[in-house]
Amino acid sequence: MLRENMSMALHAIKSNKMRSFLTMLGIIIGIGAVIAIVSVGDSMRNVFTDAYKDVGINRALILVSWEVTDFRSSDYFDRDEMERVKEVFHDKIAYIDTNSSVDTEAVNRLKKVKFDFQGVDYNYTDVQPQNIIYGRFINEADVKKAANHVVLEDKGAVQLFGTADCVGRTFRMTVNKNTQEFTVVGVYHKDLSPLAAMLLNNGQKQAGFIPDTVVSPKGNMSQVLNFYVRDGVNMKEFQPEIVKYIAKTKGRKESDIRVMSVVDQMGNVDSKLSAMSAAVGGIAAISLLVGGIGIMNIMMVSVTERTREIGIRKALGARTRDIMIQFLTESALMSACGGVIGIILGVAIVMIGGAVLKTTVIVRPSVVVMAVGFSGLVGIFFGIYPASKAAKADPIEALRYE
Amino acid sequence: MWKKKEVIPDYITQNVSEDLIKLVDMVKIYDTGSIKVLGLKRVNLTIKRGEFVAIMGQSGSGKSTLMNILGCLDRPTMGHYFLDGIDTADLPSDDLSAIRNRKIGFVFQSFNLISRTSALKNVELPMTYAHISKKAREKRALELLERVGLGTRYEHMPNELSGGQRQRVAIARALANEPPLILADEPTGNLDSASSVEIMELFSKLHNEGATVVLVTHEEDIAAFTNRIIRFRDGSLVSDTPNIPVSKREKEESEEPEEPEEPEEPEYQSGDALC
Ligand SMILES: Nc1ncnc2c1ncn2[C@@H]1O[C@H](COP(=O)(O)OP(=O)(O)O)[C@@H](O)[C@H]1O
Ligand SMILES: [Mg+2]
Repeated sequence: MLRENMSMALHAIKSNKMRSFLTMLGIIIGIGAVIAIVSVGDSMRNVFTDAYKDVGINRALILVSWEVTDFRSSDYFDRDEMERVKEVFHDKIAYIDTNSSVDTEAVNRLKKVKFDFQGVDYNYTDVQPQNIIYGRFINEADVKKAANHVVLEDKGAVQLFGTADCVGRTFRMTVNKNTQEFTVVGVYHKDLSPLAAMLLNNGQKQAGFIPDTVVSPKGNMSQVLNFYVRDGVNMKEFQPEIVKYIAKTKGRKESDIRVMSVVDQMGNVDSKLSAMSAAVGGIAAISLLVGGIGIMNIMMVSVTERTREIGIRKALGARTRDIMIQFLTESALMSACGGVIGIILGVAIVMIGGAVLKTTVIVRPSVVVMAVGFSGLVGIFFGIYPASKAAKADPIEALRYE
Repeated sequence: MWKKKEVIPDYITQNVSEDLIKLVDMVKIYDTGSIKVLGLKRVNLTIKRGEFVAIMGQSGSGKSTLMNILGCLDRPTMGHYFLDGIDTADLPSDDLSAIRNRKIGFVFQSFNLISRTSALKNVELPMTYAHISKKAREKRALELLERVGLGTRYEHMPNELSGGQRQRVAIARALANEPPLILADEPTGNLDSASSVEIMELFSKLHNEGATVVLVTHEEDIAAFTNRIIRFRDGSLVSDTPNIPVSKREKEESEEPEEPEEPEEPEYQSGDALC
């Protein structure tokens, strides 16, 4: 009987294709929107996660809070302090530096290119592997001797030298108010999806690496320490440990020490995305409601049009519930069809968007299943009234209906 | 599954009574709010299994009212209607549905086939509500269409068939669950005379095969095919007389048939040429 009802419902939907389609439109748009938005949210989350991985999922900054009223010079970190932290926590911390950078203009004869060099220790690639395409990364000797060596991103290298293959070339730039000559020892390439690039946008500045010791020589003070925990170390659990240590060495309360980790930031973004999803979910719910009312409306019309058919069916032995189930199946199927088309539409939109932005899109199967189920439920709910109207029809009057 | 298998009360499925139809002091009053219309006045009537009965009367005399009650589409206001020994007065509507499904085959003046649905599907319909398997349904529906001379037209939609053919599909549908009673309300009312004769010959054939047929007509020619003619006037049964069917009369009047028909040959086959 279920199969029979299904085929009857399909028959009814097919014999009035245009009307069925228009009726489904509300559901199609509602479900399409839900699928698109949820998938965009999921994909964004994925992009953010990727972007943050790029920044470093194990990364954190530690500092004496800028909110303390009595900021003193001892609240800064110097290289010796950094080395001590590295030693004390060597089993937990994989990498540490003073988070130094040089924001300057690189000059090669007449060419001037804005660069933002990140000061790094030689083992930076342990925590942030780089795709070196020419030469090498900053090595231990560079750092020890504070050599004027740099590693450029290929884009910047092309701008400055006209070619990415520029190992050994030199240029001039001002570091710590001192204009000097620097030599390129390596060139790297970075693959970022356009969306991630947008999120990590650094304006027009080109990127590169420079030995930490060049930017921040011995005696130089830094406000923050930048560190990566080792794989397997839980950042959340490690934080109080290092806060306690720094508070002690700085003679500060633990509450005056701030740790900013990527993990925390991700939580922030996550909650913002969730809020967005919830808002859109609300809008989609309204559109499904409108779609449901559309289905109810057309089912009322259909029941009236088919009054005679209902009369015939009843005369031939259909019971109240047979008619009820017939019309409920029809409205549920119509709505579920709308849901399926909506899913196809939503997924298509997301796929196209993903292809344009060169971003991997994520469509959760659970969301798809829920969408179809929910649209079916909408159909059943809004079909109840028309179906019961049909089921209650008096067979004699229904048979007389013109 | 979401539905239990049907349980039809035994009294519906078992044929018990020699009197297929028995009306006892049956009254039908239509309550239209302001005025009460007397549809039928104290009707007493018995129809036995295997009879072929014509109900006649002028328009408004209560023929359709009677058919609706006989067909369990409506209930008497007073008195009793026993169908196959079952008192239908107090049955719940689902039981009446089951009775219509198993015990009654309807043939209507306006055919009442379901539109945009093939002849085969239309014939299957009563069997669908009797929860007969798809295979068995199709097999029987094809046999029935064969029997009414539409074996090759099972895929046709109602609007692709002539009036006479539609009525034959309706008759096939009425026979689907092998009901003891066939009720036909002016089955030839919308047909030309040639098709009318074909349909009546089909009813005669069914009757000869043992079916009980009750039909409404206001044409004497049509009533002439039956064995018994019951006349109504203003809601009252005014006469009830036996009749010698035309087919038998022709036989008795021996070998001088006015019409070029072979009584031996199944009549419906000749009808096919008209389509
Ligand atoms: N649903 C109804 N409501 C009120 N009066 C009705 C209804 N159906 C039939 N009648 C009345 O009952 C009487 C018998 O009608 P009906 O059985 O249809 O006659 P027939 O079929 O012989 O033409 C008529 O007077 C008619 O007006
Ligand atoms: Mg009538």
